[in-house]
Order: sequence, then C-alpha cells, then structure tokens
Amino acid sequence: MTLRRVLIANRGEIAIRISRACREAGVESVAVYSDADAGAPHTQAADRAIRIGGPAPADSYLNIPAILAAARETHADAIHPGYGFLSERAAFAAACEEAGLVFIGPSADTIERMGSKIGARRLMEAAGVPVVPGMTPDDQSDAGLLAAVKAIGLPALVKASAGGGGKGMRTLRADADAAEMIAAARREAEAAFGDGTLYVERLVEHPRHVEIQVFGDAHGNVVHLFERECSIQRRHQKVIEESPSPALTPAVRARMGEAAVAAARAVDYRNAGTVEFLLEGHGEAARFYFLEMNTRLQVEHPVTEAVTGVDLVRAQLAVAAGAPLPWTQASLAQRGHAIECRVYAEDPASGFLPQAGPLLVYREPAGPGIRVDSGVAEGGDVPVTYDPMLAKLIVYAESRPAAIDRAIAALRRYPVLGIRTNIPFMIRVLDHAAFRAGDVHTGFIDQHLERLTVRPDPPAGVVAAAAAVTAGQAAAQSAAQAVTSARGTADPWDTLAGWGR
Amino acid sequence: MAVMILRAGERDYSVEVTRAGVIVDGAVTEPAPGAVAAADADRRWVFLDGEVYEFQVQRQGRRRSAAHHSSLTAPMPATVIRINVSPGAAVKKGETLLVLEAMKMELPVRAPADGTVATISCRVGDLVQPGVTLAEIDD
Repeated sequence: MTLRRVLIANRGEIAIRISRACREAGVESVAVYSDADAGAPHTQAADRAIRIGGPAPADSYLNIPAILAAARETHADAIHPGYGFLSERAAFAAACEEAGLVFIGPSADTIERMGSKIGARRLMEAAGVPVVPGMTPDDQSDAGLLAAVKAIGLPALVKASAGGGGKGMRTLRADADAAEMIAAARREAEAAFGDGTLYVERLVEHPRHVEIQVFGDAHGNVVHLFERECSIQRRHQKVIEESPSPALTPAVRARMGEAAVAAARAVDYRNAGTVEFLLEGHGEAARFYFLEMNTRLQVEHPVTEAVTGVDLVRAQLAVAAGAPLPWTQASLAQRGHAIECRVYAEDPASGFLPQAGPLLVYREPAGPGIRVDSGVAEGGDVPVTYDPMLAKLIVYAESRPAAIDRAIAALRRYPVLGIRTNIPFMIRVLDHAAFRAGDVHTGFIDQHLERLTVRPDPPAGVVAAAAAVTAGQAAAQSAAQAVTSARGTADPWDTLAGWGR
Repeated sequence: MAVMILRAGERDYSVEVTRAGVIVDGAVTEPAPGAVAAADADRRWVFLDGEVYEFQVQRQGRRRSAAHHSSLTAPMPATVIRINVSPGAAVKKGETLLVLEAMKMELPVRAPADGTVATISCRVGDLVQPGVTLAEIDD
C-alpha cells in the first residue's frame, strides 16, 4: 500500500519535521491544533490544519475521539503521533487500527508490552538484556512503597510506571524525606499520565545515559543505528545529546547494539524506537543496563540522522506503508560527530523554571553543518500550557571538538529575547573543560551548576544598547539601528509608556 | 533629557540618551556592535555573543523595598495547587510556602529568609499571573 494523507497528532517542531518528510515523500499532511495554537507555525507547515479542541492537552492533543474525528473529516489514511502526548498510548494505537488508520509506529501490543516497566524488565531479562535492580510494588500505598524502597536500598529512584520523560520522578537519598517524595511523585504521575502507579529502582551513581536507535519492519528485519549519548540532563530531562558517545569503545558499542536489537526483537518491534541504557564505568570494563524502551520517534533523532546520513521520518512513513527497511545493518555506519542542543524557555539560574511570554526576538543561526528544528517564530508567544522546548539546534562536524566549536559558535548567534532561555547555559556546558574531555554523567549539570548558571554583569556597551531601544517597538532591531533612530528624535523617552510617572 | 535608571540583578545603571550618544554612568558609551536589543513595557533585553542581559527600567525616585519585608510573586502564569503555611507562621529560609503548577511541573515557592508569614493572598485553585503577590514574609 501507499500512504496518501497523514494526520500529525502533535504540535511544535516535531509536527513541522513530520510535515517536511511527508512533503518530500509526496504524502499530504494534516496538522491539528488547539485553541492556544491557532495560526502556530506547525499549522502552516502542513497542507491543511484542523482544530481539535481547547488549550488544555486533555481537550486537544490528548483527546483521542477528537483526533480520530479530525482524521475522518480530512480523509487521512494514517496518523503520526510524534513524541509525547499520545505517542506511547497503546489505546491510541489500537483505536487508530480499529478506525482503519495506519498508526505510524509499533503495534498497540508492542507499546503495551514495553509501556509497563515491570513487564518490559521481565521481557528483557528473558531476552538476555541486563537490567537494573528494581520493582513496582503490588501494594502502592505509602507503606508499600516505603517497604519497596527499603528492599531496594538507598539511593533509590521513584518514578511513574506509566510514562517516560522524567515526569513524576524523584530521587530518594534519606529515609526522612521518602514519604513526601513519594506523594509528590504520585501526584505528578497522575497529572502527567492519568496513572499514579509508581516504580522503585536502585539508583546507579554517576551513570551515563546512552541509548540505541533501533528500527524494525513488518518483514522481520531489525537494525540498530548506533548510540546517542544523552547524559547532559536537568530534572531527568535531556538538554544536550551527541553521537558517537565519547565513552563507548567499539566492542561495548557492538554489544549494546546487539542487546538493543535483541530487545526490539523480543517485542516484535516495528518502526522507529529507542532502547535506553544506563552505562556505568569506562572503557572495555563499562557495564550497561536496560532502562526503558521508547516506542516512538525521539526528540533527539536528528543526531542519528546526522551521523548515519539517513532520514528516520521518511523511513517511518515507508515502513508504516509496509515497505522493507531501506537499510541493512551492514550498510549503516557512523561518520563524523553530531550534537543536539535543546533550546528551552526556562531560567537555569532559578532551578530551570519554565518561562512563558512573548518572543520579542527569535533569530536562528545558519551555516554549514547547522540544522534548526523549531516550532516557534519571532512575534509569537510561548504559552504556559505546553512543554517549554522551543527548538533544537543540531550541528554536525568531522570530529567531536569541531562539533563542540560549531555548536558554541551557532548558539552565540542565536538571539532569543522576551523570555529567558537556556542558550547562555548551554554555551557554558559545551565550553566546560569536563564536557570537552567527554567526562559527562547524568549528574553533570548538578555537579557544575554554580559555574554553569552565573549571570555576568553587563558591559557598558550592553547597557547603552538596552537604553537605545524604545518600548513598544513591534520587533527589536539591532542596537546600532536603534541608536540611529534614537538620535533622530528630540526625546525618545517621550514614547516610553508607563515610565517616569 | 531624562535620565533613566536600568537595573540588572543588584546593580543600577544611570543612562541618558543624548544627541551626542548614550551616556552610561557619566561616560559616553557606544552600544556594543552586534548586540540585539528588545523592549517590552519596562523591561529591556540585550543579546550579545550568546549572553542575554535583562534590565528593569526603574521609576525615578523609587527606592528598593525595605530589606526586612519581602513579597513573593508568581514567576509565570500558574495554578496554586497547595498552600503549606498560614499567616503568623514562623518559616525557615528555603521552606516551601506554597506550590504552583505550570507546564506540567510543580514549582515550589520557598521562603527567601527566616521570618514570619505576614499575609497569604492566594487560594488553592487560583490561576495567578506573574508579578502578583502570593505571600509576604516579615523578618
């Protein structure tokens, strides 16, 4: 079969990314939007756009009946779920199949089997994939969870059994705060996934987070597309990802790839997926443990696209239509080095507090080896309703040092004003001696937090630039231009609203 | 010409735009080449070489509020999901006074210093806007 029209059940940069792949594949795309996203860039990237409900995710991007109705109304024959939202809901994949729509991803059964952390662990143990000690207690009361924490031992992680992405996750280091942490994790899990079931796991100290991209088709072929190192995280969410990992030797890389393929085969995996591992130790002695499988396209998939030269989303469309994988394991190779920097609307100096507000200035860098996948535009607003990720900067270069230099240079030409972002913070991470040395682990940001979040005093020339721009300008201009216009008026402050009174 | 006070962090800068150029703290200063600046009400933003500087335009004659009294405000539009303290309660620096929720995350509002809760001016379930006072603490 061939796909003719794909409805994209998502928003922001990933919806735009999928629209582009559809266009290149000669497939029509349909965007969906909530009232908070009317006119948003992702609605303009698709061939057509259809409203599905109110701003709250439950009313729109998580509303299965509304999305299926939109697919019927627009005569879509397939649905791409993107990442987040409904992408890992087995019920959604099943509902698509029942409605006669191709779900671009694994089967509902595969999502179900990998979605439960206990079930997935048992499967992995049976498939010979190493796992970290942990459990989901049958007794989910506070007492039951405390007993589980005791059995596993401190430090321990408590996290939502139903979903990934770090939501509802807490680290327990002392018995004293365990009860409060468990209650908070349960509330967040319920709010994010509608399911407060918690999982308790031994915390592997100073681990790296290294994941393997896998891809399967409907003909029994499964390949891996090497690793992504995702150790630079805050609040258990990734900030900077790269490939290759500076920690993997060829032998360990090969073993992890084989384990990931075995994991995918154990659940009859079809389409794109990622097997996440914790990596402990260095060199040939490094050990890895299965963490979880994300049964969808990942945010950081462009890193793999850069080093392998493939288009994962186009491959998703082809495989969903029944075609065999476009590659064999032997045809895939890693070349050069890629780094992704996630641009978040957040204030690293205030505990990475999400920011909402106007994008007075938003200008993306460009140049050789630079890719920006974004879902926002200058003059737009960052709403409080959704995830604070604005864009992803992906750089590619011949070596890791060259990729770091390229990423820093690009971020230095990436003005975003009106809300705080983590751009200055990411420059400090990339330029940190430990990062340059490849000495990263999932606690890197916390370990170096103070140095990474300094706010330098403004040079006098910056203060002058701040003074030269007048309030109420629709869009910012360069300081030099602003000064020129300021000099042309008798008193530029006459135009200042709300000042001096 | 009006002198304007721009505050960045804890520092105030006195700035005047004249036909001769911009005067910062008494010295004529060229705006930094390559800087990108934007204004929104009484806030100013400047991007230069990967750093972002944020300024607040200060009204003339306005002094900082006394150090022994602090107002806690919402950092962004959010919903109040929990209030842990009542007026009159003694609180320790860093103690969580109330919890907001926004962007699917819980955001604790903590006491900036040891003190006594003077007022709580929000209720659980309120949708609060940035800048609105949620609670006041006396040292």
